[in-house]
Amino acid sequence: MRTGTVVNYALLIIGSIVVAFPLLLALSYSLMSESEIATFPPPILPADPTLDNYGQVFATIPIGRYLLNSFVVSSAVVVGQLITASLAAYAFSFLVFRGRQLLFFLFLSTLMIPWEATIIPNYMTIRTIGWLDTYQGLAVPFMATAFGTFLLRQAFMQIPRELWDAARIDGATTFRFLISTVVPLSRPALGTVAIYGFLSTYNQYFWPLLITNQTLMRTTQVGITQLRFEETLRWGLVMAGVIMVAAPTLALLVLGQRQLIRGLTAGAVKG
Amino acid sequence: MRKFLGLALALTVVAAACGGAAPGGGSDSSALAPGKDVAPAASITWWHAMSGVNGDALNKIVTGFNSSQSKIKVEAIFQGTYDDLLAKLNTALASNAAPALVQVYDIGQRYMYDSGQVVPMQAFIDRDKFATTDFEPAVINYYKYQDKLQSMPFNASAPLLYFNKDAFKEVGLDPNKPPVTFTEIADAAKKLTKKDASGVTTRFGFGPSIYGWLFEQLLATSGALYADNGNGRDNRATKVVYNSAAGKAILDWWKAGVDGGYFYNPGIDNDGAANAFNAQKTAMYIESIARLRGHITTIAGKFELGTGLYPRPDSKPKEGGNIIGGASLYIMKSRPPAEQQAAWEFVKYAMTPAVQAQWQSDTGYYPIVKAAYDQGPSKEWSTKYPQFLTATTEIRESPQNRMTNGAVLGVMPQARQRTQKMIESVLLGQATSQAALDAAVTEMNAAIDKYNKANP
Amino acid sequence: MRWSSREIRSLGVGLAYLAPSLLLFAAFVFLPLAQTIYLSFFNTRATGAITTFAGLDHYIELLTSPAFRTGLLATAIFALYTVPVGIALGLVLAVLLNQRLRAINVFRTLMSSTIAVSAAVGALIWLLLFNPSLGLLNYLLSRVGVQGPEWLIQPTTAIIAVSITTIWLTLGTNIIVLLSGLQGVPEEIYEAARLDGAKGLRMFTRITVPMVSPSLFFLFVVDTVAVLQAFTQIHVMTRGGPVDATRVLVYSIYQDAFQNFQFGFASAQAVILLLLVMGLTLIQFRFVERRVHYQ
Repeated sequence: MRTGTVVNYALLIIGSIVVAFPLLLALSYSLMSESEIATFPPPILPADPTLDNYGQVFATIPIGRYLLNSFVVSSAVVVGQLITASLAAYAFSFLVFRGRQLLFFLFLSTLMIPWEATIIPNYMTIRTIGWLDTYQGLAVPFMATAFGTFLLRQAFMQIPRELWDAARIDGATTFRFLISTVVPLSRPALGTVAIYGFLSTYNQYFWPLLITNQTLMRTTQVGITQLRFEETLRWGLVMAGVIMVAAPTLALLVLGQRQLIRGLTAGAVKG
Repeated sequence: MRKFLGLALALTVVAAACGGAAPGGGSDSSALAPGKDVAPAASITWWHAMSGVNGDALNKIVTGFNSSQSKIKVEAIFQGTYDDLLAKLNTALASNAAPALVQVYDIGQRYMYDSGQVVPMQAFIDRDKFATTDFEPAVINYYKYQDKLQSMPFNASAPLLYFNKDAFKEVGLDPNKPPVTFTEIADAAKKLTKKDASGVTTRFGFGPSIYGWLFEQLLATSGALYADNGNGRDNRATKVVYNSAAGKAILDWWKAGVDGGYFYNPGIDNDGAANAFNAQKTAMYIESIARLRGHITTIAGKFELGTGLYPRPDSKPKEGGNIIGGASLYIMKSRPPAEQQAAWEFVKYAMTPAVQAQWQSDTGYYPIVKAAYDQGPSKEWSTKYPQFLTATTEIRESPQNRMTNGAVLGVMPQARQRTQKMIESVLLGQATSQAALDAAVTEMNAAIDKYNKANP
Repeated sequence: MRWSSREIRSLGVGLAYLAPSLLLFAAFVFLPLAQTIYLSFFNTRATGAITTFAGLDHYIELLTSPAFRTGLLATAIFALYTVPVGIALGLVLAVLLNQRLRAINVFRTLMSSTIAVSAAVGALIWLLLFNPSLGLLNYLLSRVGVQGPEWLIQPTTAIIAVSITTIWLTLGTNIIVLLSGLQGVPEEIYEAARLDGAKGLRMFTRITVPMVSPSLFFLFVVDTVAVLQAFTQIHVMTRGGPVDATRVLVYSIYQDAFQNFQFGFASAQAVILLLLVMGLTLIQFRFVERRVHYQ
């Protein structure tokens, strides 16, 4: 191997360890007993790894149900976001109409509104329409995304005008162009929106806390707080919960990564 | 918006009706409770903040109640930390979605009372002539306002000094006579502090976290008031008064320790302070008895754990003592009388000695009812963990007065945060003790003013 | 201004595409915002019920309070520490990851793994790491002879600690977006530049950076907004302290709304924050977007 490659690999390994270190540490702590964690000097690897903490998590909270709930809600939000954001981004990149700039800023403005400003009135709305403790209540408010629209707009704007002009000459309708050309060419960006949407919904805390009263409708983040006790902090237990909750999303990341690459080589913009 | 206004109007009317209770007690509040013949509802909901071991113990009580009779079924739902629970309750109250029974922490007292949404426990007590003579006076007095019990105490804690007996023996201190006064603690801490060859401290003598509750307790053992109007118990507090000589003495002692290198400063991280003690980075620290069980499990025989009375000034003021902590149960007015009735049935069950004894041995909170100590589980617990008895001694030995009853403020959570900021600024050297105290008091007085105006 | 029928039609078409998003925004963003703005002009009781009209009282009180100014300063410092570093680091790592090496996917997953971690969880882990005496960070530092600072206890280092945590949390997103941007750069452009003699740093600044500038700009806007609204990590690690060093605007809104139950006052702060963020974004679009190179 050339020195360049060796250096590259070295950098990659070091970089990966540094970035992934906190997560790896969480994994390590999840395998330690409470007594081992509370020692000085602080331990890095468990001397006597044990799966006790994981067992305790199962015994303390219905983690399976929480994972299911989070999955269902996050998936629903992703589907919603892909649809609404693609439509909107298309309008902002290819369509021309008066007030487009203004409407775009209107969209962007939603990014800047702090959640504390809207969460309580939203709670009241959800309660009035009877959506407390439901998947809809957890998902629908988040099905539109300015972030996603913005990202897709950037991606759509990379598509050469010639394609658009050619399609127009061919007599394609606006909608057809979106479906047949724009979407396939923007797979990486769509993938990013999907992944991001999934993860940010999955990681929500305050909204699920507020609108779910029934234990069985709770989501993972709220569920994890049940491992953080009012009177003591059991790091081993909390880290075990953390790993269990992060594992599915990490798995998704591995899969999503490949999709991104695949999508890119399949529909890469040439020339 | 109309709903808001409607609610506001309703609340003012209710507040006017409730707020007229004569000080000094004597008047019967039975009228506020549902009639004795109202049949209890078949099921009610209970919102609480207990998880883990304590959550399991709580569920045990609920299961016990549900299976002991067939008329009422209680559903206990965990709603997060005390803070989350209160935020959630607040939102629920505004849209009429509150449960029948709710567990709220000690400092949420005034807020609950001012919300006008509570059926005072006293109403049920008066109506049924329920005997509270066997209840721990310290605990009952904390939750009374103008001599009426607003809520039923549920989990009661007390602050203690935790110390490492092995470390004590190591430096020649008597492990059976832990330090109690400020100077004794400072001296012991100096002896217990260890440094390594390069001058880095490997063990600090004393490591309290910056926690508002600990400061409130230090004020109480100093026999000093936190707020005016009898700590807000004779009448609504209009200002805080902890910028007194007592307050200054506390801060001076704390700062001297940190500056002197024998007090460890873990900041506001309470768990960090507990961890430091477990890892023998500190030899003493102060915290709630609720942590005792956790410590015993984590220390697991690495060293011998001791508990002592909470620190107090050298003069050991006679009026000084400790305030109880924890949380209590409130019955919410917005639910129909049948549900209120059911909630009361459950509360009574939770206060029986057998249940209290089991609760104590499952959690480490001490029983509200004295008779519980005579029960099997309680006796076993006290034999196995004598460290726990320090709390009982401490609470029973504390005189009962306004200082030890603790402060009642509508803005208590905010006040607690503010004292934490105050202590931080002193320990960081940003302000002198008196200046920091005065600044905190000025700011809080403005907040209290605002609160009182907004909640007439 | 008069609208031609064509313009009206094209607006109709545009709105049709925007409708799903707009409806959701109207119901769950704009309507509640309007309610909040309304609330900011009133005094409220703890339950949120309105008591008296306050007019501009809350706003005046905020703009004249030193605590508010401290909060703005903390917010600005926090943003300045976090956004540029986060993006720069993301870019460097993305470039490193943009190579065709064996097992590159493993490295990509490892480095973008932070995206799978929620702010609450990440903050908890970093809280453990930053512990001055028990935390690994200071321990590792002490092994190389450096005395680690009292991270979350000292005001200056507390902001840095929260900043590091936030950079770590957003690193995953930054890397993914930049990697996706880098991979959209056609190989031919690099070829052409190489023929012209460009390589190394020159290649980076003259070719790579401009070509990914859409992604960079995107992250610049989005990360700034995210950082200005970062709440969870502060709540877990510092609670706004020490001595308000990390009491950014968003945190004081949370405290006033959910801890002190002063909804009218908190609403006024939320409105000010909104205006600030809007102004900032407008500036970014105005002055920075023109330097972005779209293909």
